[in-house]
Amino acid sequence: MPLLSEQDRQTVRAQLARMTSPVRLLFFTQAIGAPETALITKQVLDEVATLSGLISVEEANFVLEKDRAAGYGVEHIPAVVLLANGDDSGMRFFGVPAGYEFMSLIEAVILAGTEDSGLDAASRALIASHVTAPMNIQVFVTPT
Amino acid sequence: MARESPLIRASSIDASEFMELSMTYRVTGVPKTIVNGTTEIFGALPEAQFVRSALGLPEADAPQA
Repeated sequence: MPLLSEQDRQTVRAQLARMTSPVRLLFFTQAIGAPETALITKQVLDEVATLSGLISVEEANFVLEKDRAAGYGVEHIPAVVLLANGDDSGMRFFGVPAGYEFMSLIEAVILAGTEDSGLDAASRALIASHVTAPMNIQVFVTPT
Repeated sequence: MARESPLIRASSIDASEFMELSMTYRVTGVPKTIVNGTTEIFGALPEAQFVRSALGLPEADAPQA
């Protein structure tokens, strides 16, 4: 049974239509002893993938693929890494993408699936001139 | 910002699900943004302000020291 109402599915499908390139949702979880949030996250991701032919979901085992997880900076699960055309988009989601976070996930997927960061010219200029080393931005949120 | 530069990684973290991490960064209200483990940004800021804060720059119209 889908998590989203038919109306919400239509709305999200329309938003996702802005995508122009494929996005893979790389989902790190555990096979044994996975928290319930991991199971719910997988459901959400699978449902999002049905709303666009450009979205796919790949499940990876956090325990068995520890090096791969570390490569993406994933130290906690459930974790979703957004890959744009197979490359790391730099965007991650930790925890169930529910409530407001669901909309953030959709916006992130669209960002990953288009070439444009959506930032204004001033922001881009600042980033170009000031970001010379890796930068890690962690935004703490709650789903409701 | 992450989409704009390959050097930038941006993560959304559910504060209540990852309590230990929330405690490490003293997250008592959301949204709270931590940049490179040190810079703290409280609340949701407009784009220009957020970008400047994240980059450790003063406000655009602040007097220069």
